[in-house]
Amino acid sequence: METSTLEALAVGLLAFFAAGYFVLGGADIGTGMLTPYLGRGDAERRLVLTSFAPFFLGNEVWLVATAGLLIGCFPELEGELLSGQFAVVVPLLAGWVVRDAGLWLRGRVDARRWRAGCDGAVVCGSWAVALAWGWLLAALFSGSVHSPAGGPVAVLTALAVAALFAAHGLGFAALRLTGEPYVRARVLVGRTGRPWQSFALTGVLMAALPLLAGVALPLAHAAADGAALAFLVPALLVVTPLLVAVQACVWRAFRHRVTRPSYV
Amino acid sequence: MGVNVSLPNPETLDLARLQFALTAGGHFLFVALTLGLATVVACLQTRATLSGSVLHARMVRFWGQLYVINYAVGIVTGIVMEFQFGLSWSGLTHYAGDVFGASMALETVVAFFVESTFLGLWIFGWNRFNRWVHLALIWVVTLTAYASAYWILVANGFLNNPVGHREQGGRLVIGDAAAVFTNPSALLAFGHVLAGALLTAGFFMAGVSAYHLFKRTPEWVFFGRSLRTGVFVALPALFVTAAFGGVQFAAMQPMKEAVFSSQVAEVARLQADMVARFGPGDYVPSEGWTRGAGIVMLLAFALMMYLCLAGAVLACFKRAVFRFRLWHVVLMAAVPLPYLAMISGWVFREAGRQPWVVYGLLRTEDAVSSVSPGAMRASLIVFTSLFALLAALNVWLLARHARVGPVESGLGHDERATDRDPADSLTAASY
Repeated sequence: METSTLEALAVGLLAFFAAGYFVLGGADIGTGMLTPYLGRGDAERRLVLTSFAPFFLGNEVWLVATAGLLIGCFPELEGELLSGQFAVVVPLLAGWVVRDAGLWLRGRVDARRWRAGCDGAVVCGSWAVALAWGWLLAALFSGSVHSPAGGPVAVLTALAVAALFAAHGLGFAALRLTGEPYVRARVLVGRTGRPWQSFALTGVLMAALPLLAGVALPLAHAAADGAALAFLVPALLVVTPLLVAVQACVWRAFRHRVTRPSYV
Repeated sequence: MGVNVSLPNPETLDLARLQFALTAGGHFLFVALTLGLATVVACLQTRATLSGSVLHARMVRFWGQLYVINYAVGIVTGIVMEFQFGLSWSGLTHYAGDVFGASMALETVVAFFVESTFLGLWIFGWNRFNRWVHLALIWVVTLTAYASAYWILVANGFLNNPVGHREQGGRLVIGDAAAVFTNPSALLAFGHVLAGALLTAGFFMAGVSAYHLFKRTPEWVFFGRSLRTGVFVALPALFVTAAFGGVQFAAMQPMKEAVFSSQVAEVARLQADMVARFGPGDYVPSEGWTRGAGIVMLLAFALMMYLCLAGAVLACFKRAVFRFRLWHVVLMAAVPLPYLAMISGWVFREAGRQPWVVYGLLRTEDAVSSVSPGAMRASLIVFTSLFALLAALNVWLLARHARVGPVESGLGHDERATDRDPADSLTAASY
């Protein structure tokens, strides 16, 4: 394959994984953000977390894969982007760690205060991740790789992106929950129309976020050398359909609405 | 544009190195138990599935629960590790990213993506899937965890012993992919780390089981079996670890070897040699870290060897397994030994190649990002305090769950069978 074809395919793969993360990971982050609204009391909150618990591991790996693609196919850009956006990426990662720790550890101690602390970690971590994404996207939309966005534009973008995450999570919650938390999710999504419509709409918007950011990035000039791409891109193209199939199995296995808590 | 054109701030460099050492070292210790325990749990589940034995099914759930608790902290520290290269070491991704990045990309997409997805299925799909499907899930998790370790060690092996590359326009590119992926520095370390992980899991199982036998808890059959499993896993694992370690000693960077064995004349000769090749500079790694860590590793190995040999004999006698309380105490006290060997071996490997990040090609000081010391310090404080908290919680939770012993709740608990289901208090489905 020619180098230009390989570069185009590498950009395509990056876009696919990034969009996958925003659509799938965005749903569980959004639901995590709204947990205090959706679930009042310990049992209800546990149900809300259960609505996305089987998926969160499989969702966040889309971002891990995006970062892997970035370092493998666009190594120089990866270094410049992450070190340039240092101040934004550190809170993003910290929020991610706190959120995951809350989810993993919640069910491991049978004490009300422990569970409340873990719920707090999930909620605060989810908000930190969503706001940090908004802040990062504010810089990327303007093509600024080397310094974080500042000023009112950054604040407004961060809030708008966080609101979109929350709306997406709400749509997901309306599709997954039952009982009182479902009723609360339905109130904001609206009773008219099918629940899928709201989720599909926010999904399209979520997928558009990284794609818009990617357009402004100097991806075409930053691809790795042909030898690395000639090795990586075909391997990744072969594996990607398998990964999608595996994820489809997960979504199929846990497709039913949640009525009772699970491991979390 | 250029990240490594200007001279690095020495304070940023020190802080970035400290952050990397603490987060990578912490991550490595969690991975050691995860990787070993995954293998043990997969074998136990195979046994349980084949024989339908209730005892083995209970062992899967108990040891699986400890595995999952430990995995959680490993995964979140690993996430930070992946981003840290770009955050703190953009000079490395700039200069060597074309080679180094390829294995990182394959690790995330080909290994970790699958591992994580299947782990979710294994945990949340308990009692949902056919038992053979559920068994296949844990084996996929285990094998992709191995694949993950392999790709990471390919990246690390390249830093220690760069092969299969050529320089083009001031950057490294892949010359021979097969050479990069069969780098002896990666393959030997892979064997060493896998066996070391099994050793860690063996000591962990034996120590936890010894606690219950020492306390004479009612689960003596369960923990008698587990203790013997731990001891008999640890013995072969120790010898495989040592074999791979010994071969690595023979193929080490000459400077590391000279510093380790305190050959002053040889160190001076290599220093002069490197000054002639690479220009003025200090090419001698810290003797305290390199030599000290190497010695601690060898001492831990010697101690573990005596314990494993004696343990393998004792474990053949039922009376010793159930009644030899002094041995129980020794096994409990020995749980940290593999960790000590693992971390000191890692310090020996990584401190001993300084001042290079890519041996002979890129100096650590040229690889650090141009980030202000203040920002680096803030990130160091955020991540190390988070990880210290998580490590403490992990130890506390592991100890707590280990002490309680096998219970009905937690991993593998069938929610459909509960009478007192918290969700039952919710109103019926109204959609």
